[in-house]
Amino acid sequence: MSAVADWQPRLVALVCNWCTYAGADMAGMARRTQAPNVRVVRLLCSGRIDPLIIVTAFEQGADGVIVSGCHPGDCHYVQGNLLARRRLTIFSELMDFLGLDRRRLQLAWVSASEGVKWSQVVDEATAAVREAGPLRGFGRPAAGAPPVRFPERPSAPRPAPAPGENEATATALRERAASLLGGGEVAVVAGYAAGSLPGQMVPTFVSDAAGTEVLDWNERCLANLSVYLPELLRRDGRVGMVVKSCDAKAVLGLVREHQIDRDRVVLIGVPCTGVRPDGRLAAKCYPCAEAVSPIADMTAGTAPAGPRAVAPDPRDAEIAALAALPADQRWDFWQGQLGRCLRCYACRAVCPLCYCETCVTDRNRPQWIPVSIDGAGNTAWNVARAMHLAGRCGDCDECARACPADIRLDLVNRRVASVLEARFDYRPERAATAPPPLLTFLPTDPDGFR
Amino acid sequence: MDGWRVSDEQLEGWLVSLLDGTRRVVAPVAEDGLTLFREVTSADEIRLATRHPRTRLPAKETLLPATEVLFSYRLEAGGVALEVPPQPSDQVVIGLRPCDAAGTARLDEVLLADSHYADRRRRTALVTVACTSAGPACFCTAVGGSPGGTEAADLQVVPLQGSWLVRPLTDQGTTLVAGSAEGWPEASDEDWMAAEGQRRAVEATITTEPIPSEWVRGLAERFDAPAWQALAERCLGCGLCAYVCPSCACFDISDAGGALCGSRCRTWDSCGFRQFTVHAGGYNPRPSHLARHRQRVLHKFAWFPLEHGALMCVGCGRCVELCPAGIDIRQSVVRVMSG
Amino acid sequence: MNDFLPQLMRVAEARQETADVRTLRLEPVEPDRELRWRAGQFGLFSVFGAGECALTIANPPTRGGGLECTFRRVGRVTDGLDRVSAGEVVGFRGPYGNSFPVEDWLGRDLVFVGGGIGMAAVAAPLRLVLDRREDFGEVVVLNGARTAADLVFAGEADAWRRRGVRVVRTVDPGGERPGWDGEVGLIPDVFERLALPPDGRMVVVCGPPVMLGSMLRALDRLGYSPERVVTTLENRMKCGFGECGHCNVGPFVVCRDGPVISAAQLRRLPPDL
Repeated sequence: MSAVADWQPRLVALVCNWCTYAGADMAGMARRTQAPNVRVVRLLCSGRIDPLIIVTAFEQGADGVIVSGCHPGDCHYVQGNLLARRRLTIFSELMDFLGLDRRRLQLAWVSASEGVKWSQVVDEATAAVREAGPLRGFGRPAAGAPPVRFPERPSAPRPAPAPGENEATATALRERAASLLGGGEVAVVAGYAAGSLPGQMVPTFVSDAAGTEVLDWNERCLANLSVYLPELLRRDGRVGMVVKSCDAKAVLGLVREHQIDRDRVVLIGVPCTGVRPDGRLAAKCYPCAEAVSPIADMTAGTAPAGPRAVAPDPRDAEIAALAALPADQRWDFWQGQLGRCLRCYACRAVCPLCYCETCVTDRNRPQWIPVSIDGAGNTAWNVARAMHLAGRCGDCDECARACPADIRLDLVNRRVASVLEARFDYRPERAATAPPPLLTFLPTDPDGFR
Repeated sequence: MDGWRVSDEQLEGWLVSLLDGTRRVVAPVAEDGLTLFREVTSADEIRLATRHPRTRLPAKETLLPATEVLFSYRLEAGGVALEVPPQPSDQVVIGLRPCDAAGTARLDEVLLADSHYADRRRRTALVTVACTSAGPACFCTAVGGSPGGTEAADLQVVPLQGSWLVRPLTDQGTTLVAGSAEGWPEASDEDWMAAEGQRRAVEATITTEPIPSEWVRGLAERFDAPAWQALAERCLGCGLCAYVCPSCACFDISDAGGALCGSRCRTWDSCGFRQFTVHAGGYNPRPSHLARHRQRVLHKFAWFPLEHGALMCVGCGRCVELCPAGIDIRQSVVRVMSG
Repeated sequence: MNDFLPQLMRVAEARQETADVRTLRLEPVEPDRELRWRAGQFGLFSVFGAGECALTIANPPTRGGGLECTFRRVGRVTDGLDRVSAGEVVGFRGPYGNSFPVEDWLGRDLVFVGGGIGMAAVAAPLRLVLDRREDFGEVVVLNGARTAADLVFAGEADAWRRRGVRVVRTVDPGGERPGWDGEVGLIPDVFERLALPPDGRMVVVCGPPVMLGSMLRALDRLGYSPERVVTTLENRMKCGFGECGHCNVGPFVVCRDGPVISAAQLRRLPPDL
């Protein structure tokens, strides 16, 4: 009992050097009293406050974090705080989805002259965190994560392909590939072939027309082949690739980020009725209206005419079910999920947009993401992954498919995507024309800061 | 006579008796649609019967935790104080498949050299459950195992015609059932013959050809085989195959914490990672997916058996089933030998 | 008993060898703890909070005064080791691995070749030989680096010469400094120019992977028997005693079966390094 009564919240304030730090200084010089629970860490700019710094503060014992910088328009570096505004908006929504009590992350603009405001921010944040209580621990809850009742998935809007449909596509695909390779238009075609397990389809790379016999197509062609594009292009110069419409957004992302030369890639679109990993239509396929990717350079077979049946993505109902839970229950759910993470980085390996030469998690000076395979390290890794892909994720769900621990990475990605759409009018398809949404800003961006 | 034939109730009574608080009990449980090894506190959580799928991940974590503290350090006036963690408690791991237990025997070959592992291993009893069916990726019989195998098991449970044969295989196993077995009916010769028949029937459903012993040397000599190129082409460089493997033992050592206090931890590591071999100065002796996939295959099927006899693969099939790129280590072995 | 628990060592002395190479002399915090090692063995040196790394023990056991490590600041741990000052406490596990077959060299002519920080691995057997100078024949040291400022142990060259050692220094073209009187050229080329007759001569060669490869090829071409050429493998290591799986070259587990290896043994291993 006394331990609870004696508990004092610990807060870390990450503040910009030019405004808030001076504001805090002014509060001190004016001898304003304020709650003594805050440790101030000065950074050059709020634009420099990487989400991992905030996660690190929580991981090392902070019960709450205040992030503060110059008011929009006043940035010492012109636009740092405008970029920070977008990034921290997404981050705080992500952390809320992961079950971090909103009171624990406080965002405020405090100028050099706002000593009074600073002391108010500190007092109010401290009071809010005191009310929220000590931070729930990282890691799988001792009693196991509470079961979350997800709504039943509605039946698929489209039936599985009729007999013969896949074979017709596969035949056309083989012809297309053979002609591309035979005519020297590409040096290699990335497609799918039967794997060694019953019904399994695996990526395959065919370099001559005769080899195209192994190419096949059906609703178990799950992999997003665009993850192989940069390497294949380096090796072979010109590449043909079988593309599903869900995979194409990653291709757009790779083009936008200058990782591949679109002119050296030939995309062979396949008429796809949706993938069925375990016999059931994948959630991502419910709302998909495009049988063939609109950016495909050619189609294997014929695209079905007219619009097709779609249904809302069933994961939106799952996300809503999670969002409706009290934050602590959501925290326990996600810590149960992330507690299973093995840090095998299959999620990173299969992601076409995770192409960094050296991932932040492999950097150790400083070691932002703990090496330890436990709640804190796994949370830091998964937050970093989600944030680095915010506005870059092509929504192909490969990370969730690859995860050997069945962590619902798809829900995390989709939640981030929906915030991006709601706040910044960004959707993955816009990768063709828009810059990555966290690398840009509008002066009129919604502002959730105090 | 070497065991008993017990009913569901008797088996459950025994499981309850193990949960008397004197040891940690780890067994397969259901979690978010998966079957996973977890510490259990009640017998009804335990998913023992083979009608439940094989656990998604092996029980390796019970002996080689994904992260374990080797010692903690604290800076003090004029020096550093080191503190070792308390001794591990006794534990019994229930419900390992024969392949998982064989995987433990491979871990032993490598890891018994260190006191941390050895302490925990000495305090661990393994209870295996014989398989009554084989999954599509199972290939234990190809690598010297069997659905009824008893390697490294202290006690074996065989599901048979609605009841269970229980057979202690070590003194530790005998101790585990000591209190409960009084009053259990002894299993008859026919029961054991039926179990044998069941084992052979499951074995017959596993179609992977056994790996000939001479392939160990053969593979070692085929380090430069051209076949490696195509085999590694699909590899994406994650560490999944090692992390889901019951016999992969590689680990990393690193410090968690700051300059004032913290701990030195051992964490799992995987030869699939580019970082695994890279020198501090940047040079990497295994710079390609090819080199890293080759290391994985040869470590399991050449270097380890050359030193220890057994293959370092127990045929559980998890890496085959879970590889996001669809790489099949069986195919790698066969293609290198035939290519 | 805990195999991963380091012995606490106090930094007795810190010497800056070059801009990024440093030597630490370490003595056990508990003075009654005796340290024994053989030339060529290595240890896991640690800075608490930064981690451990494998470094060769750079001084021979014959000299007393604790053990020394000489390292280049290149990663997280060496960065930490670079910052500690005399009196501070670091950790040491070991010694691990095999050692140079110094007894087999008695009465023979010896060549020690060190490239860059490879000199740290050459140092222990070289210094051991110097301490027992009369037991060996002609001794040549070929010390190379990218630039004159990067030559490790350059300050000891005169002392070596006084012990009757022929010291040859070389730098990469462009790495000379004004008044440079050493050689200019890559180590294998300079070695070839020395035109030492191979008969019976033992060669110890340590250095970065690329230099090592070209040097071993040069020695082969010059007629040195691979049995008489010895090197050390410097793979990434974590445990130091054969468990962690990081350092193997095929069946050869460097921390346990090495790090000292003859060119003849190396030739029988798969080219996985």
